Amino acid sequence: MTTTPHVDPRLLDPKLAKFNPLRRILVHDDFNDGTHGWVELIGNHDEHGDLDTVDEHMSDFRPPQLSSCSFFDVGTHGAMSGTYALKVATRPVAGHTGVAIRRLTMSGRGRVQFETYLAYKAEAASAENGAATAAGGGRWDANNHPSEQQFGAFTVATDICDGVRYHTVARYLNTDLDHQVRHQWVYPTVPEPTPREHFEGKVKLPRTADFTAPNPEDWKPFGEPQEMCFNEVPTKVNWHYLRWVIDTSTRKNVELQLNDVVHDMSDVPVPPYDEHYGSLQNLLNFYVSVRTHTDVRNFLYLDSVLISVDW
Amino acid sequence: MNMRQSLTAVIERNTTLTGEFTTEPYEAAWAGEARWFVRVLDAAGRRPRLVARTQISPDGLHWCDLDETDQSISPADGPVHSWPATGFGGWLRLRGTVVDEAADPAPDESARLKVLIYLALKA
Repeated sequence: MTTTPHVDPRLLDPKLAKFNPLRRILVHDDFNDGTHGWVELIGNHDEHGDLDTVDEHMSDFRPPQLSSCSFFDVGTHGAMSGTYALKVATRPVAGHTGVAIRRLTMSGRGRVQFETYLAYKAEAASAENGAATAAGGGRWDANNHPSEQQFGAFTVATDICDGVRYHTVARYLNTDLDHQVRHQWVYPTVPEPTPREHFEGKVKLPRTADFTAPNPEDWKPFGEPQEMCFNEVPTKVNWHYLRWVIDTSTRKNVELQLNDVVHDMSDVPVPPYDEHYGSLQNLLNFYVSVRTHTDVRNFLYLDSVLISVDW
Repeated sequence: MNMRQSLTAVIERNTTLTGEFTTEPYEAAWAGEARWFVRVLDAAGRRPRLVARTQISPDGLHWCDLDETDQSISPADGPVHSWPATGFGGWLRLRGTVVDEAADPAPDESARLKVLIYLALKA
């Protein structure tokens, strides 16, 4: 029996073979050897380095962790490849958001693709954290675990500036603010409030505001609801493939793939800022966030990330 | 040369500590070395002092002290304080108390410290 070699020699590398990159790979982040530039997002501070000048709702997005995915019942679960994954964690405070960001610039225009293998979890219960009785919980039925309804949402997003600044955003809304299952992809209809808008007195948001779009009414669904593989309990980690494509030549979304479902995003609007921002020419930032809707820590794990472009 | 991995995490930033507290759990199983830094930004109270212990955990949920060593952080001793943690396993946090060593403090002078807490890790 003969087999035909893969046409793209890059994909003979097992670390790359699980991805579907565009022509040029900009970034391949394997978290077994560091954080690869993924860092906590923070708002801007003044000329003195006075942290009191940082917007309160952008002051505590938590440092990402190199996680061995260890749990109380099985010890080290490990990542999809190797031992370590990047973990973004919230505080156990309803409305708290954890955010990690990756900062690049653009040397061209065209399609940009973000791929990752991810898992998401709410924290397992302990006497100290009180998760078993926190809002969103309930009774275990030996299949669905109440922990799943204590996971709020995770988000993949960009911050881009080619003269015009805009964000492309896709959020998986696992549960709504009332802890009801939604399993719905959503997008914001407004641009993210910025530190400059606060500086100009236009907006002042509280600590646990949803920084991407604070008003729940500004989030709209796209695609059909999609069920994931949470896998019943908060200590079993199954990795999901995510592939998200945008086009920086048209400032538009293209599509989002999660495992075997491809959601057409070509009609999902991308709201630009009306005002000009300096110091940001060719900005190309990617961020991932995790947001809890109850007083239970929520976690987003990334096994690895690959960002590719067609320029 | 195989360079050693390193990572500095800001565990608390511009945070005002009062009374008893614990920091958020932080995973550090990959690291062979760990060192806390506490930078005091501001203080209130007559003689405020932070007393802290390194805590460890097998799972990020259940915690015990790493050892019997209390770290004493007094703003009078300078703005930056540091100590190492060794043999810590997989998870680290601080458990601490802000105390006022002046006798009989007035009710409106409860001790508090505004701090940055860094955890510097190295493979």
